[in-house]
This record gives sequence, structure tokens and C-alpha cells, in this order.
Amino acid sequence: MRAAFFIAVLLGFSGVLAAAHFAPWMRHARLPSQTEVVATGGRAERFLIRLPVDRIEASGVAASPLRAPPGAPGLALPAELSAKPLLVEHFKVRDAAGNVIGLAARHWTSEGRGAGSAWSVLIPSRGALLLTAPGEGKAALDGALQKVGYHPGSAWSGTTAVPAVNVELTPREGGEVTAGSDEFDKLGGSYKEVWKVTGVSESGELRGTIELDTITRRGS
Amino acid sequence: MKYLLVMIVGLLLGAVAAGAVLYYNPLTEADGPEPAAADRALHYDLSAQMLGLSLGERALLPSLEQRDTQLWEDTIDRTALMGLVLRDDANQPVAVASRLLVGSASTDLLLHGVLLSDYWLLTFPDEGTLFVRVDTNVWPFLKQALLPVWFFNQPWHGPVEFRPTAGPGAQSTAIVIGASGKFGGVEGSAVERYRVTTLDRASNKAEAVGELHLHFFPPQVAAEQPTPGDG
Repeated sequence: MRAAFFIAVLLGFSGVLAAAHFAPWMRHARLPSQTEVVATGGRAERFLIRLPVDRIEASGVAASPLRAPPGAPGLALPAELSAKPLLVEHFKVRDAAGNVIGLAARHWTSEGRGAGSAWSVLIPSRGALLLTAPGEGKAALDGALQKVGYHPGSAWSGTTAVPAVNVELTPREGGEVTAGSDEFDKLGGSYKEVWKVTGVSESGELRGTIELDTITRRGS
Repeated sequence: MKYLLVMIVGLLLGAVAAGAVLYYNPLTEADGPEPAAADRALHYDLSAQMLGLSLGERALLPSLEQRDTQLWEDTIDRTALMGLVLRDDANQPVAVASRLLVGSASTDLLLHGVLLSDYWLLTFPDEGTLFVRVDTNVWPFLKQALLPVWFFNQPWHGPVEFRPTAGPGAQSTAIVIGASGKFGGVEGSAVERYRVTTLDRASNKAEAVGELHLHFFPPQVAAEQPTPGDG
């Protein structure tokens, strides 16, 4: 009887410690990765952001009135920063099939040598990716839309002939996959960022899709 | 029957003893590194300088009050997204940070504590952007502050300071990676420290001030290759 008692105590003790050590306490739901192998080597994966539903918040009206419109959910910058060249955007991120799989933050700023943009993309079940590129010019998206007839303060929609305006915000050679964690650790590569805008509401809310096309390779 | 009863009592006693060991386990309560002299020391105030906070539906512990959240999908319901203004030592706002937080698969209640993966995208207007990758151990905060005050209605004995940085860099520091502007190509380390000043369940109020200390590594100079015939 005494032996059984001590064996049970030992079992209870070691069982709880083993569970504390081995149990997957932070397991995140995972969807199959929508990746393709690239003929030249590497793995291609497209991330999508649908506007306006995937925009969480944004700030930086001085850098782009359309991407941080006054009426949209915003981050209220202090006066010392609000006039600076700064654009901060937070989004949900989808896979190529349109399923929400993560979150992303995009920052843009400029300094003496030019502009720079950076994406931090978090996919809970897979890790994080840091994407960087020489940034677009100030209010690049606003300018591209005005060229096709958009006027600030009025609504604009694509036409049958031109259903969407495609604005590529990375340079021709693409941006760089700079760093990553977990599944993306030690990956390098490139990416392209294209904003496909199909319309703008009177209040300045964008409709369309942001496409982030990444090609990642191990150790490049 | 008697044996079964003895076994059940024994199992329960063993489990309770193990629970006590886990609760008082010094391995999971270790403080992160102490901030040393930093190239940049940035300060934030979670009550006054938080630009925005989105919490996933299941990001909070059970029974903590939930906000309306956009982060409801299964794949992101344990995440959080925070926008912060960061100030310098002269209390001037100098940077904006977006923090993407998620429970880490490295969480180990026996050896490491409750870990969050905390990704900072940190932009200094007119200068450039940095990426900071942090493993944050929130177990000391849960144990010393949140659980007793929020769940067991004990009085708050704050303020309490925490040094949560637990890696993934050398000496348990965070990893800093330059992303753009004058920080392009820069590497370094970082350490966070925060002080919870107010925690009151009755008024649903939590306040904290914190610091992020950035240290940049000197640029690596490639070793000169010996030419054939040298020496």
C-alpha cells in the first residue's frame, strides 16, 4: 500500500513536470502554405491585403493623404511627429487563397539619401518576415491615382477599360527579404509590392488589393 | 478499491507538489539582462503614448475583459498589435514602433517561462527603420502582478519592475537588424525594461512605463586576404 502511494505521488509529480516541459502550450492554427517552387530556385509565395477590410489602422497623413485618410481608424501621432515624413500602416495579411493568416506593419520614412520602406509580416504558426526596399516617393499612390482622374474629396472608380490602377511601390529589381524567424529564419530573397486600386470613396477610403510577391531562398 | 483511492490521493499530492515547484521555479523567473549604456535609449508610456492596440480574441487570459477586436480569425486570435510613440532621454518623441506579438512555441513552463515573440518595427522619421526581434518572458509579470491582482483580488503592491528580454540574441538580448535609411546594414542588440505602475481590476486600469535600450555593433571589417607568395 505504501509503495503504491509513493509510486502514485511520483507519477503525479513527474507527469505535471513533463506536461509543463513538453506540452505545446502555444500552438497556432495553421493553414497549408500557398507556395510554389521557382524554376530558378527558391520558393514563391504571395501575400494579399484586401482594402479596406484588412486595414487595421494607419497614420501619416503628411506622407500620403490617401493611405492614412483623416476619417479612417488612425494612430494619433503627437504634434512633433505628425509633420515628419512618416507613414505607419497596420494590416491583416491573407494567403493567395484569401484566408487571413497573419498581421503586418508597414513603415515608410525618408531621410537625406532617399526614402525607405519596411514590412514586418507575422504569421503566428510560421514566424515573421522582414521585407525592406528603397521606398516610393512621397504620396506616390495619390499621384498615380490623380493621373487617371481621381480628385481628392471626390469618389473614383475603375472603368471597364481600366478596372484598376496598379502601382508598384518597390523598384524594378524588387525589395529584399532581409530577415526572418522560425520557418523564415536564415532565408533571403526578394519581393515585389503592388497596390491594385479599384476605387476610392469620397472620404478617401481605398478599395483594392495589395500584393506582396516574395521569392525566398535559404541563405541568399 | 482502497488501492485505487490511495493511488488517486498520491497522484493528486504529486501533482500539487509539482505545481508548487513550477510556481516557485527560479528558472522561469530569471530577470533578463540589465540595460547597459545604450546607443539609443527609448522610453514609452503605455497609458499616454500608446497609439493603438488590437488584441486577438484569445490573446488575453480567460476572464480578462475583451475588447471588440478585428483579430478574430483562428489564425490570428492569439496575437496582439500595438503602436507606440517612443521618446528620447529629453522626453521628446523621436520614433514610432509597431509591435507584433504572439505566443511563442518556445514556451516551456519548466525551463523558460511563458514566452512571447515580440517583433518591433521601429522608425525614426528622417533617419530610417530598425527591426527588433525579442523573446519576452511574461511569466514574472503574470505571477507577480496579473494573477494575484486580477484573478485573486489581492491588493496591488506596485510599482513593480520587470526585465522580460529572454533572447534570441547573445546573453539573452534581443536582436536588432537595420532595415532602411542610416540603419541599413546595422546590427545590434536590445534590452527592454518596464515598470507596471498601476493595476486595478475594479477600474479596469493598467499602466506601465518602459524603456528599450538599443546597442549597435561596430561595422564588421572584412579580413584582408593574403596574396599568393606573401610571407
